[in-house]
Amino acid sequence: MGLREDLERFREVGEARREDLAEFISYGDLGSSRPDEVRIPVKIVDLPAFEYDRRDRGGVGQGDAEVGQPVGQPRPQPGDDGEESDPGDEGGDHEYYEMDPEEFAQELDEELGLDLDPKGKTVVEETEGPFTDMTRSGPDSTLDFERMFKEGLKRKLATDFDEEFLREVCKVSGITPREVFEWARGESLPVSFAWVEEAHAEVEDERGAWGSIEELEAEIDREPIQAKIRREGIGHVPFRREDERYRYPEIVEEREKNVVVVNIRDVSGSMREKKRELVERTFTPLDWYLTGKYDTAEFVYIAHDADAWQVSREEFFGIRSGGGTRISSAYELAATLLEEYPWSDWNRYVFAAGDSENSSNDTGERVIPLMEEIPANLHAYVETQPSGNAINATHAEELERHFGRDAEDVAIAYVNGAEDVTDAIYEILSTEGDSDE
Amino acid sequence: MSDPHPLSSSTNGDRFRKQAIAGDLEAPVEHARQLAEKLGLEPYPVNYWIVDYDEMNELIAYGGFQTRYPHWRWGMTYDKQRKQGQYGGGKAFEIVNNDNPSHAFLQESNTVADQKAVITHVEAHADFFGNNDWFGLFTGGRADDSVDAAAMLERHARTIEEYMADPEIDRAEVEKWIDHTLTLEDNIDQHQVFSRRRESEDAPTGLDDDLGEKLDELGISAEVRGEVFDEEWIERIEGDEEAPSFPAEPERDLLAFVREHGKRYDEDAGKAVEMAEWQRDVLDMMRAEAYYFAAQKMTKIMNEGWAAYWESLMMTGEAFAGDDEFVDYADHMAKVLGSGGLNPYSLGKQLWEYVENTANRREVIEALLRVEGVSWRNLTDVVDFDDVRDRLEPPEALASISGDSLEDLAELPETWIDGEALDAARAGEIDVEAYPWKLLTYEGLARRHYSLVEPQFRGFLAEVSQDELERIGRYLFDDARYGSVEEALADLDYAAGWNRMYDVRESHNDVTFVDEFLTSEFVAENDYFAYEYSEASGGFHVSSTDAADVKKKLLLQFTNFGKPTIAVYDGNYGNANELLLGHQYNGVGLDMDAAGETLKRLFELWGRPVNLLTIATEVDDHDVEVARRRNREPDREERGKRLRYDGEELTVEDAPWEDVSHLAADDVDYDTKPEEWLA
Repeated sequence: MGLREDLERFREVGEARREDLAEFISYGDLGSSRPDEVRIPVKIVDLPAFEYDRRDRGGVGQGDAEVGQPVGQPRPQPGDDGEESDPGDEGGDHEYYEMDPEEFAQELDEELGLDLDPKGKTVVEETEGPFTDMTRSGPDSTLDFERMFKEGLKRKLATDFDEEFLREVCKVSGITPREVFEWARGESLPVSFAWVEEAHAEVEDERGAWGSIEELEAEIDREPIQAKIRREGIGHVPFRREDERYRYPEIVEEREKNVVVVNIRDVSGSMREKKRELVERTFTPLDWYLTGKYDTAEFVYIAHDADAWQVSREEFFGIRSGGGTRISSAYELAATLLEEYPWSDWNRYVFAAGDSENSSNDTGERVIPLMEEIPANLHAYVETQPSGNAINATHAEELERHFGRDAEDVAIAYVNGAEDVTDAIYEILSTEGDSDE
Repeated sequence: MSDPHPLSSSTNGDRFRKQAIAGDLEAPVEHARQLAEKLGLEPYPVNYWIVDYDEMNELIAYGGFQTRYPHWRWGMTYDKQRKQGQYGGGKAFEIVNNDNPSHAFLQESNTVADQKAVITHVEAHADFFGNNDWFGLFTGGRADDSVDAAAMLERHARTIEEYMADPEIDRAEVEKWIDHTLTLEDNIDQHQVFSRRRESEDAPTGLDDDLGEKLDELGISAEVRGEVFDEEWIERIEGDEEAPSFPAEPERDLLAFVREHGKRYDEDAGKAVEMAEWQRDVLDMMRAEAYYFAAQKMTKIMNEGWAAYWESLMMTGEAFAGDDEFVDYADHMAKVLGSGGLNPYSLGKQLWEYVENTANRREVIEALLRVEGVSWRNLTDVVDFDDVRDRLEPPEALASISGDSLEDLAELPETWIDGEALDAARAGEIDVEAYPWKLLTYEGLARRHYSLVEPQFRGFLAEVSQDELERIGRYLFDDARYGSVEEALADLDYAAGWNRMYDVRESHNDVTFVDEFLTSEFVAENDYFAYEYSEASGGFHVSSTDAADVKKKLLLQFTNFGKPTIAVYDGNYGNANELLLGHQYNGVGLDMDAAGETLKRLFELWGRPVNLLTIATEVDDHDVEVARRRNREPDREERGKRLRYDGEELTVEDAPWEDVSHLAADDVDYDTKPEEWLA
């Protein structure tokens, strides 16, 4: 009905007006999205109207309140038609354009020109595919009748011949059955000697009607078998037991494209608000992207200062601790946790982020060997130093020196401001090599 | 009420299984109607349909109808509705449309108790549609007083579909034109009776047209024209003319105004040209729909409250739900009424109860003041309210009616009892246990459900203020009519509360309703507060818990659909055929971005430059900085602003105060900020 069209038109209108994806990643509100659903604010999808300024208008709320107390997120007002109104938001109503991670990944591919092709790993199951394989016996219901008919027809085409013409050949004066048979064979007519003998005897009286085969051929057109079928219909199609085939399902080996993503974040004292936000901005779209690309995606979150510990996603971006920094602690933990996700069965991504500060010699002596020991599609380090390089913050530099700029499975990216986020994401996602196992 | 007007059969639930009134519901529907009428409701006839979840969402998106013109906005609502259903558990039980007969759609998945509740609810809505004067504004302009909504909306849908399919008309143009029109859907004169065409006597005619063209039409030969009516003459004549300015009075119906005087901007020609026939037609249709839906927007609180009130009375008061269904019903009510915030159901219901209680209390107080020796000064001292309340309790025979108590019922005043029904009950023709109300009249039911003795309102009578006593007592004559309280109460009109409710439901809208009946007790009891934006802190803060302030803010949300009032002040602004709008400023400024965007759309409907005069408050950045340090609000200065869109550029300029002073209202104030509030 009409509503389906209206919905489609709405999607088109929304599509046209939603925030540019790259802009959204760098500056948009990532927080209103959920892991399984990316919500991209759409700029004022609804039609404009003469309206009050929200600040001037104020409103009515409900609850125990003291005059002067700030109002967080007042509820929708009764006059508002149930529409969400958020007085704290100057831009007014935001409609959201929602996309699932698959769509997100696809859009990001288009936007950034990526073409990461996920690899299938574990053979999860051998499922029954379509009934396309054949066997010579089976239940009646799986008999491929169509095939049997075709085979029968082919056989008919192959065995049928212009009986009338051959009968005329038998009338050529002085011809013997052997000669007829020889001629027919020469013409590749599928006729048996017995048939010729019989026909030859039947036209005994008319023999001599033709002087020679050449004369006969000049007089009477031979009718190709296709024409005969077209004229007379198929008539009888000979079904043969040997043509019977029974369909049975193909066994399909399904390789699941599964991925485990390890997110490592330095939560030490030097990782201030701005840095944390940049890490979140870089990691979150990476998570969405990989979720969208793979059939199953699992995430492991590791926070570390001088020690490392596993945390939940909710906690991950919020944690802040006091201690020093020893990045290898995180990789040690990652190595242990990854034992659950064997390299033979899982695609692995290990993303770490921090401000490149590390305890002395840890990078060279511990981290680099660990990175080399942990097999993964990709190791990445995201350095964030919004206020410029600290002198002894050399982790990224050391990694780059060791692995080189063009390493196939190690990416180093620098995010010093929101504007760097998409470049970093591109750098990381375009690095993964094609070599596998 | 008008006569039932049958819908053309094509609009009738063709798409829905004709499963209307499924077996289980046939009896409840019939009984709900009987009960509603006994209670004094006069609903439009209602056709009930059972629909599934998807159909329900579709109906909600279409505003309660099955067919609407193609537009992406319905898709947006539908999308939102579905998602609410998925994530928010926002369950829709029913939707009923304002039509005669009304069509009500019940969700298939509702329990039987839900369905019964929904039916009683729907009956009350259908009464409101049929009897509220604001709904009458749409139907009032027509001779037969019929609503004909479904047929109208379907006609509009077909017509617009035809325009879209017309190879001569660009489909995208139609869609855009509808969009432009819809930006003005709330800019109508919703307090006027709807008429298809707005007469426009004040529009200038004749001479404003190009004089040269007129002369062409006269067929005067070129020689004569050259001699007599030369260019110079024409210019002089045209120049002499007083610049015709219209309308004489500001016109709030922007849609009607652009319909009559608007043109469209032709990109190729680079100038305004007459609208195409289909464009005027679309304008007419959108305007008719805007008027049709206006009454619903203006009476949301009242209408939902009304339905919730009668639903509750029928369901709980008259046990319309069976015992086993009652738990479901209570659950349903808790969900609907307890959805938090200022929900129209509970706000409306409580206001209606207040209307009922105050009318009943007034009736009682008047009776008591007529007792010898009782005056407004001494009433609270000499009258024992507990005793009065005991006397107000309905007699046992009325409170609990059963097959065995029929004879007790016969003893009660005749006006309370439906004699015929009582006879039928005696003959065993009425299931008295299930439908006790069948034996009663309107007066009898009013007595049975007398509000002042309900447990939740027991204190209401005694809470009467001295002010109120004085107000009633001062103008009361014949004040020594009764010898005793008992005697006075014997004459009491127990239907006073309901009668008052019926009067109010006829004449009020949400603005007048909230204004008159929202009390400080209500505000205090429900912890309502007003909030305002603080320039100093850059956020919203609680500004007041005072009832008057809360009411102010609420009224702002209900007045004029919660939107600023905009009117046409000149259709020939600057004698250049530009449009001048004025924002009637009530202290709350416009959203300037939205206003600019709306002007751009309006330009398409006017074809020539459009202007808007408004008043905006401005604060100096430096003042904000200073104010922030001193923990107070910066001074705000009101300035005139003129927004203008000429088809290419949107400009906002300061306008001299004398140009906007007529727009500023000085008798309203919606500001609730206290002097010192961010200490």
